[in-house]
Amino acid sequence: MIGLAPPEYDPAAPTSATTLPVGTPTTVRTYVRSLLRRHRRPFALLIGANAVAVIASITGPYLLGGLVEDLSNGVTDLHLERTAAVFALALVVQTVFTRTMRLRGAMLGEEMLADLREDFLVRSVGLPPGVLERAGTGDLLSRITTDIDRLANAMREAVPQLAIGVVWVGLLVGALTVTAPPLALAVLVALPVLLVGCRWYFRRAPSAYRSEAAGYAAVAAVLAETVDAGRTVESHRLGARRVAQSDRRVREWTAWERYTLFLRSVLFPVINATYVTILGAVLLLGGWFVIEGWLTVGQLTTGALLAQMMVDPIGLILRWYDELQVAQVSLARLVGVREIEPDAGDDRVGPDGREVRADEVRFGYRAGVDVLHEVSLDVAPGTRLALVGPSGAGKSTLGRLLAGIYAPRSGEVTLGGAELSRMTAERVRGHVALVNQEHHVFVGSLRDNLLLARTDADDAQLWASLAAVDADGWSRALDDGLDTEVGSGRLSLTPAQAQQIALARLVLADPHTLVLDEATSLLDPRAARHLERSLARVLDGRTVVAIAHRLHTAHDADVIAVVENGRITELGSHDELVTADGAYAALWRSWHG
Amino acid sequence: MQIRDLPYTDPGDPDVRSGPHFLLWLGLGQLTGQLKSLSWGLMHQCAIAGLPLGVGLAVQAVVERSGGDLAFAGVLIVALGVLIAVGDTMLHRTAVTNWITAAARVQQLLARKTAELGSALTRRVAAGEVVAVSTGDVEKIGWFVEALSRFAAAALALVLICVGLVLYLPSLGVLVAVAVPALALAVLPLLPRATRRADIQREKAGHATELASDTVAGLRVLRGIGGEELFLGRYRRASQEVRKAAVRSARMWALISAIQVLLPGVLLIALVWYGATLVQDGRIEVGQLVTVYSAATLMLFPLRHFEEIAMAYSFSRPSAQRAVRVLSLKRSDQASTLEAQVPEGDLYDPMTGLLAPRGLFTAVVCGDPDAAGRLADRLGGHAEPDEDASGPVPSVLLGGVALDELPLGSARTAVLVQDKDPVLLSGTLRELLDVPSSGAVAADDALAAAQCADVLDALTQASVDADGDPMNTRITERGRSLSGGQRQRLALARSLVTDPEALVLDEPTSAVDSHTEARVAAGVKRLREGRTTVAFSSSPLLLDLADRVVLLDGDTVVAAGTHRELLRDEPRYRAVVTRETEDEGGAKDGITAIDGLLPARAVEEIEERA
Repeated sequence: MIGLAPPEYDPAAPTSATTLPVGTPTTVRTYVRSLLRRHRRPFALLIGANAVAVIASITGPYLLGGLVEDLSNGVTDLHLERTAAVFALALVVQTVFTRTMRLRGAMLGEEMLADLREDFLVRSVGLPPGVLERAGTGDLLSRITTDIDRLANAMREAVPQLAIGVVWVGLLVGALTVTAPPLALAVLVALPVLLVGCRWYFRRAPSAYRSEAAGYAAVAAVLAETVDAGRTVESHRLGARRVAQSDRRVREWTAWERYTLFLRSVLFPVINATYVTILGAVLLLGGWFVIEGWLTVGQLTTGALLAQMMVDPIGLILRWYDELQVAQVSLARLVGVREIEPDAGDDRVGPDGREVRADEVRFGYRAGVDVLHEVSLDVAPGTRLALVGPSGAGKSTLGRLLAGIYAPRSGEVTLGGAELSRMTAERVRGHVALVNQEHHVFVGSLRDNLLLARTDADDAQLWASLAAVDADGWSRALDDGLDTEVGSGRLSLTPAQAQQIALARLVLADPHTLVLDEATSLLDPRAARHLERSLARVLDGRTVVAIAHRLHTAHDADVIAVVENGRITELGSHDELVTADGAYAALWRSWHG
Repeated sequence: MQIRDLPYTDPGDPDVRSGPHFLLWLGLGQLTGQLKSLSWGLMHQCAIAGLPLGVGLAVQAVVERSGGDLAFAGVLIVALGVLIAVGDTMLHRTAVTNWITAAARVQQLLARKTAELGSALTRRVAAGEVVAVSTGDVEKIGWFVEALSRFAAAALALVLICVGLVLYLPSLGVLVAVAVPALALAVLPLLPRATRRADIQREKAGHATELASDTVAGLRVLRGIGGEELFLGRYRRASQEVRKAAVRSARMWALISAIQVLLPGVLLIALVWYGATLVQDGRIEVGQLVTVYSAATLMLFPLRHFEEIAMAYSFSRPSAQRAVRVLSLKRSDQASTLEAQVPEGDLYDPMTGLLAPRGLFTAVVCGDPDAAGRLADRLGGHAEPDEDASGPVPSVLLGGVALDELPLGSARTAVLVQDKDPVLLSGTLRELLDVPSSGAVAADDALAAAQCADVLDALTQASVDADGDPMNTRITERGRSLSGGQRQRLALARSLVTDPEALVLDEPTSAVDSHTEARVAAGVKRLREGRTTVAFSSSPLLLDLADRVVLLDGDTVVAAGTHRELLRDEPRYRAVVTRETEDEGGAKDGITAIDGLLPARAVEEIEERA
């Protein structure tokens, strides 16, 4: 096999422009350092146990070397019992400390891993709502599943094993130097080959393994999609295409497997050559030294056996160094979340009153492209405002600004005279809540699903909130009541029930202003109608900004704002707008024609 | 089979009688690969086993101060080194090839099975189960299949080494030969418990990952309403449980590695003691003692394979069982009695009495979503029979031909049912719209009819390398980066491209805003001119454009006519369409009576303003 170029298609390349940041090398280094500092003691313990085990394991070769020396010198009184006793003692020590070392290594790895994943989730739940809205949760999701998984291997095995391997090699070389200093030179002979080979390999390996892993994940992803889209695949007769797609992914993945196999086909002979060179050099140089009288036979035997022992730690280091490099990438992705500016909110800023105002607001997602142009709006407490307009006109964006999720580029959005963007997310949500199509039911008990809105609520309050949204009927009928496990893989709730849970949370959280973004638009029209009754009870007495798809929502509102091309083009009550005979009136007539 | 030849053109017909049968089938399918791996493995192990000979010879040569013998030992070591390097590399290459080909084959089998089962799959097994086979089980199956030949090579090498030692130095060789089986088998009794603990650990880790990803998936809800601490606390507990389970599992593995140090150590002590006496008595040479000692330490390598194969089997057997469960599924459709053909004519459902005349746009209004769903399913033909249906349900007819009796492919070609929740498959927009079709409708026309302009903008903004062509933009899994309304319009465009004889749309615009909905409805009507189209909807904007509207009460057609006729004459229709409930019907009567512009004019007006 002559050289093999890496495959052209890289499954690990990013495909989406809106992703969260990846940690810089400095952030990663700082993080690793703090992680190690936090676990200083267990780390020292691991190294200590490791050193004892290695030193005990060197006893065998030493004793055998001494014996060989004595035997070849024809010594008759060998003290075999004493030798055996020392050997046995060393063996017991080695056994005990090997166990300790393995166990300590695992405990250390697990603790670091637990720290890491808990840290990550703590950071994730502290992300500003605006960042989440924009980047979505997909990227975060892949970090907490795939990247944590990859790190698990590294933390569990690579870090402890590498530590063990390095100490091990160091002690063996040290022992060799102490027993027979000239033999340590023999080890150096093998070093250049190893260094050149490893440099070549480790320059290519990490990214290749990343692509290989991504390629393999893509194979599974295609299958998962085919399963998920079973109905669509069947009705559009896409079966053959899905199979072809799977085969293509298999080809892309195996191309990377072939490349990494090539990389290892270079690395393996290098390692083997190193190993044999060390052994051969020790024996031949050593043999020559003995013949010249610079070394004893016993020293040579010990040296040769020590050299032979080196294969284990060298293999260990090479085996796990790889993994550590791959893990570094995952770590950078996890730590990257720390680089996002946390909420810039000021704890002292709070609203005085309930009036929501937008004053000459401009906003855009990308520099230079504004989605909203000088929008001004005044929502008096208790008013129901409906935003209508075509898709992409900026209704949802305006809604998010009014809910304090995004900060305007210029102008200001205020609640009770205080700027929303200067308040903390925790403060904002005490007053304003955004209700959207996303009615996520968390895996867990029904109680947990409600408690999140008000953690100190008692059962009576929880039941009351369910009753307030017409959900007590089915929820009372559940076998375990509030303890019923719901969410994916548990009892699955219908979309309408999930929406009711979302509404019950609002009852508990009790914000005085609500921004509704198509809250019921993904539901079956029939279920939606039922829900609207639940919703109506929740809305009672609150300020409501509703982004309306359906005109009857608009009809019931106190004020209707027609949003077109990032501007409010019509504003007034239903009757006023119908009389004005503009866009709204035309639409209304065709809807009710 | 080489890796570069993958994927298989035909992964074959697996033996799905049981897990072990399946493993055997996979192994036999790559017999050449297994034999290659076995041969290289044997060479590798034997070359390693030869090293002590070189070490012993060298020591002995030094003891006898013989430079010639020392040089010979050196040559032997170099020769063995070459053999080891070649053997190790080739063993790795062949073993990995076996692994990859086995894994690829199972993945391909799964892909074919899921594509064949289509909508029938998830009714039989949970979707997660199938995906779990692909993400987790395939690896374990491949591991065992691959480890098999490595194990065989190691076992064979051990026997050879023992025989060699006994011949080389009977006195010490016998001691080693007797001890080896004990060493090989000593840890096996501990393995079941260790793997059980590993399973518990994996299960807990899976639970923690589930909690974490669930929390992240609902993060916007948490950030919007609160409860972060509640969920963090929950995750911390799960995470700490994983840690405890992992440490518990590690205890077992630490014990196993301790035993793997202790037992060979005892053998080595015995060797040194006994060997030294033998040397003293002059029955063996010093070099021979070093050789046997060194050989005994090197034997630990092949010995590890016993442990590995036991673990590989205990992990892969349940995995193979799960794979077999999926691969043995079959469709339970009625067998086709008619030849493949695409009939033309009116679409008619004898059960409800629904008639969609050929070439017209028929809208169906149905107060009961379940009944609507059942009808939509049936209209495509080959719907799975209801569990509580009293008797066989008569098939839907297209041009008088029973769809259920057509081959599945023909039925799907003739009638396309776009269900309520159509899935957008990830890939570029071009790939999304590249579906089997009549070829009569261009993608651009379909996109325009479904009012997808803003969707294309959104896609272009979010993509890295689209080079300005929206057809090259990427759609993420399930179109998650798009809003519900945008997804719906893309799915509609895809159905329009297909251009089937009869197109059935179930609530195609339920998530689209009223402004856009009116334009979508007009676009669809224009594009499907002269083709049979059925739409389930309750939106007046759409109903008003239909040639014919049918009202369904439960499973029966109760009225038919135009939107206006039904609005005027049919109170039940009014109740469903104008969203009046019984209690507010009276109060809003005035609104219902509002009769305005022709809808076509209204649409034009909106378009002018946009």
